[in-house]
Amino acid sequence: MANYFNTLPLREQLEQLAKCRFMDMSEFSDGVDALKGKKMVVIGCGAQGLNQGLNLRDSGLDVSYTLRAEAIEQKRQSWKNATENGFTVGTYEELIPTADVVLNLTPDKQHTAVVNAVMPLMKEGACLSYSHGFNIVEEGMQIRDDLTVIMVAPKCPGSEVRAEYVRGFGVPTLIAVHEDNDPKGEGLALAKAYAVGTGGHKAGVLMSSFIAEVKSDLMGEQTILCGMLQTGSLLCYDKMIEEGIDAGYASKLIQYGWETITEALKYGGVTNMLDRLSNPAKIKAFDLSEELKEIMRPLYNKHQDDIIDGTFSRVMMEDWANDDKNLLGWRAETAETAFEKMPAGDVEISEQEYFDNGILMVAMVKAGVELAFETMTAAGIIADSAYYESLHETPLIANTIARKKLYEMNATISDTAEYGCYLYNHACLPLLGDFMKGIKSDVIGKGLSLDDMGVDNARLIEVNTALRSHPVEAIGATLRGHMADMKKIV
Amino acid sequence: MITVSQTITLNDLTVNFDERFQLTNINWELTTGQHWMVTGANGAGKSALAAVLAGAGDIIAGAVSGLPNTVSIVSFEAQAELIAEELKKDDADILDVIAEGTTVSEVFERDCADTQLALELADVFGLGSLLDRAFRKLSTGESRKMMLVRALANKPDLLILDEPFDGLDVEMHAQLQAYLKKLSQTVPMVIVLNRLDECPDFITDIAYVAEGELGQQIKRSDEKAYAELYQLLHLKTTDLEVPAADPENPIPTLDSAQPLVNLKNATIKYGDTVIFEGLNWTIQPNEHWQLSGPNGSGKTGLLSLITGDHPQCYTNDIFVFGFKRGSGESIWQIKQFIGYVSTALQWEYRVSVSIRNVVISGFYDSIGLYTKCTDRQRQIADEWLALLGMSERADQPFNKLSYGDQRLLLIARAMVKHPPLLILDEPCLGLDDMNRQLVLALIERICAGTETSVLYVNHHPEDKIKGIEKYLAL
Ligand SMILES: NC(=O)c1ccc[n+]([C@@H]2O[C@H](COP(=O)([O-])OP(=O)(O)OC[C@H]3O[C@@H](n4cnc5c(N)ncnc54)[C@H](OP(=O)(O)O)[C@@H]3O)[C@@H](O)[C@H]2O)c1
Ligand SMILES: [Mg+2]
Repeated sequence: MANYFNTLPLREQLEQLAKCRFMDMSEFSDGVDALKGKKMVVIGCGAQGLNQGLNLRDSGLDVSYTLRAEAIEQKRQSWKNATENGFTVGTYEELIPTADVVLNLTPDKQHTAVVNAVMPLMKEGACLSYSHGFNIVEEGMQIRDDLTVIMVAPKCPGSEVRAEYVRGFGVPTLIAVHEDNDPKGEGLALAKAYAVGTGGHKAGVLMSSFIAEVKSDLMGEQTILCGMLQTGSLLCYDKMIEEGIDAGYASKLIQYGWETITEALKYGGVTNMLDRLSNPAKIKAFDLSEELKEIMRPLYNKHQDDIIDGTFSRVMMEDWANDDKNLLGWRAETAETAFEKMPAGDVEISEQEYFDNGILMVAMVKAGVELAFETMTAAGIIADSAYYESLHETPLIANTIARKKLYEMNATISDTAEYGCYLYNHACLPLLGDFMKGIKSDVIGKGLSLDDMGVDNARLIEVNTALRSHPVEAIGATLRGHMADMKKIV
Repeated sequence: MITVSQTITLNDLTVNFDERFQLTNINWELTTGQHWMVTGANGAGKSALAAVLAGAGDIIAGAVSGLPNTVSIVSFEAQAELIAEELKKDDADILDVIAEGTTVSEVFERDCADTQLALELADVFGLGSLLDRAFRKLSTGESRKMMLVRALANKPDLLILDEPFDGLDVEMHAQLQAYLKKLSQTVPMVIVLNRLDECPDFITDIAYVAEGELGQQIKRSDEKAYAELYQLLHLKTTDLEVPAADPENPIPTLDSAQPLVNLKNATIKYGDTVIFEGLNWTIQPNEHWQLSGPNGSGKTGLLSLITGDHPQCYTNDIFVFGFKRGSGESIWQIKQFIGYVSTALQWEYRVSVSIRNVVISGFYDSIGLYTKCTDRQRQIADEWLALLGMSERADQPFNKLSYGDQRLLLIARAMVKHPPLLILDEPCLGLDDMNRQLVLALIERICAGTETSVLYVNHHPEDKIKGIEKYLAL
């Protein structure tokens, strides 16, 4: 199989990358009708599989699960997930031939094997759906001509997909139709009904392409989302220890700090996150982030280039073929880092203190979000998509770190994200070596001292203007506006 | 203030009032330095309790000790009595026809220990020109003042005032407040008041009477308790109706011949552990049910089979609101017929949202508000906030409210659409006594004022709701 993207002529590559449109609520007026009475069979009952299935069933759709034979025989967690929730579970042979829609929600790494196993069993004219386009785009999986291929990708972890649905809302979702596989022209109708079934339409749906989804998703997750937070955690912790700050305090400041400071992103973007700082601290964070952006820009470019030309997936797939030797080794290394081993101290840290004593962390988030966004849009990805894959998802990963620290965060995210995260981390740690030498506890651990409290008015105005005029802020305001229209809670 | 020697104790007291009313199990101590306010809903017995201190009622059980020698009481009852006596005299003295009746100054001379003081006070309260008027001819407000002067000039050791501000104009009200404040330095007082906002500054303690019992006793300085009491009184005494449903977006009408809920042979099990099995249950329209059972008996599980929140609702034979579960209906089609309140809901309701929007979210069965509401819905929500006494706080964040206030608001949220079925899963769980009473007061108003079937889950036998006639025990 060849990398699908690389088989396309440049003109089409660019067209596919730039495909992204924020859909209007009125486009979902048919609700789940296109899927009513159809048999939906989900393969895999993990994070996405279980939670999407629960939502679809609660939306009145007919959902059952098929698992690999071992999972059923051994009554694995996936089997328990499905049966305890009252779903019918069967083998591929039992269920796939009856399915009108097959939802492939197994790990991306398994897609080739899974699709090869189920495809021959699928009904003529049925639909195969994905929640991530890796298999189609990077592995070039060829799907039978009579089958419709769609993607419905929630831009949130599975647990959120369910929690938001139960609240009566949903999570932002990206949908796409694989144009090579839309024989009956019904792909879009099915994808829209599916998005309604999971509640995604209430939070906003982007009509995109498999290619734009994959290239932007990979970029976001390995740079700002997982990579930057991992590298930032390790560097900030080691610096605080070096500066003589209590280890328990340092550990807590980082573990919960990302979540607290990125919560501000959700409400008002990078601007709001920096507005949470005092004026002198804001200028400091701004200057640090400018420096960071200059140092890290080549790294972001390299990640994006490797993703676009397929180098990243090729190298990662070599590791898959090698029993994940690299991945597992790097995962083990994460467990051995000083930050990971030091439990959060039993100290009270107020919400504001996470900002005041975490100026460098704020600068890192700002630099990472802006660089990822700038790099993606420079590669032809539309701003809406770049926003969701960078700024929007940062608080979600930060929340995972708050709950689980780095090792478990990595174990929880997809293998693809995890692999990319380690690549980023390995390159970024040495890259920031010199920069970190100049860092003191005033920007990480203790907060600015009183002598640093002077502010030049002109400089403050400059900084505020620069913050507010970054393109990620404009698109962010629009998309959050869409959310807020519906989501009056913010 | 009450001096040590004058500590008054009511011990396990039960008092009858003409067979009409009974105060039961009163334990109350009024001690040094205290001035009490007694409050409660109309008919709760607050006046009776105060009157006991002036010797009213027949003591059936328990004892009162430490009452001082001179206790003066000003109340409508005392006023009515005085007038009744006068009328009796009128009837009796047929020959010596009294054209005018006893004058105000005669009343003072007859009844007051210090007539001179009475005359001075009469001046203060603007009765100076009325001294020669027959007191029967006074207006209500004027005779109120006369009663006050009469009581004050008696130099009481304990002064009991039952709604002393009723019928007084603004100016008089202020005057009396000022006078009582001065008096409070020397004379201990018990003041019966319907409205907390009339509570004079010098009051140190507040007693709340409900259904002939002494409910709460709170310190005036306890701001939290004071605020809760305020709200409770508001709910008990406000005339506001339960706001109507939204006429523009009515809930679909149900076939009244069909049960709301019909469970056949219902079972919940986790792995091999059976929580319950073989349960049959039918809820007909307009039936109120109480569901009880020990912890872990599956009460909440059973409810969530009905609400659609339990995944095993798809593996059971469940018929709700015209739908056979698992036949292609969505859970939003089910939830539109249900109002639901539970501790778990309160825990889950952790989105940042204003108080008003919490109520509005009941129209959409959502946690948080994700749809633009109509003006009408907003108006209905505001009516609910008025009923709860939360109008001023409408725009404040929900998560900053006290636990009890949150619960009240969630009940309003559940009721805002007037659902055919209101499920209250241990609505008083985790609430202190005062908040429990608040919640029960609200539920009673709802039961009385709407056509909603109530399904009430609880294991506190004392939290009874009037009007529930059907019971299911797990
Ligand atoms: N997690 C996210 O945040 C997220 C967000 C958007 C999209 N997605 C996409 O959603 C898809 C599923 O991801 P996930 O995170 O839900 O995965 P997951 O939690 O790891 O679950 C995978 C499921 O697939 C089953 N499975 C694993 N290997 C299999 C094989 N060889 N054959 C058949 N079944 C297999 C597993 O069950 P057994 O091992 O018991 O068989 C498990 O139930 C991926 O395409 C991912 O990119 C994920
Ligand atoms: Mg992603």
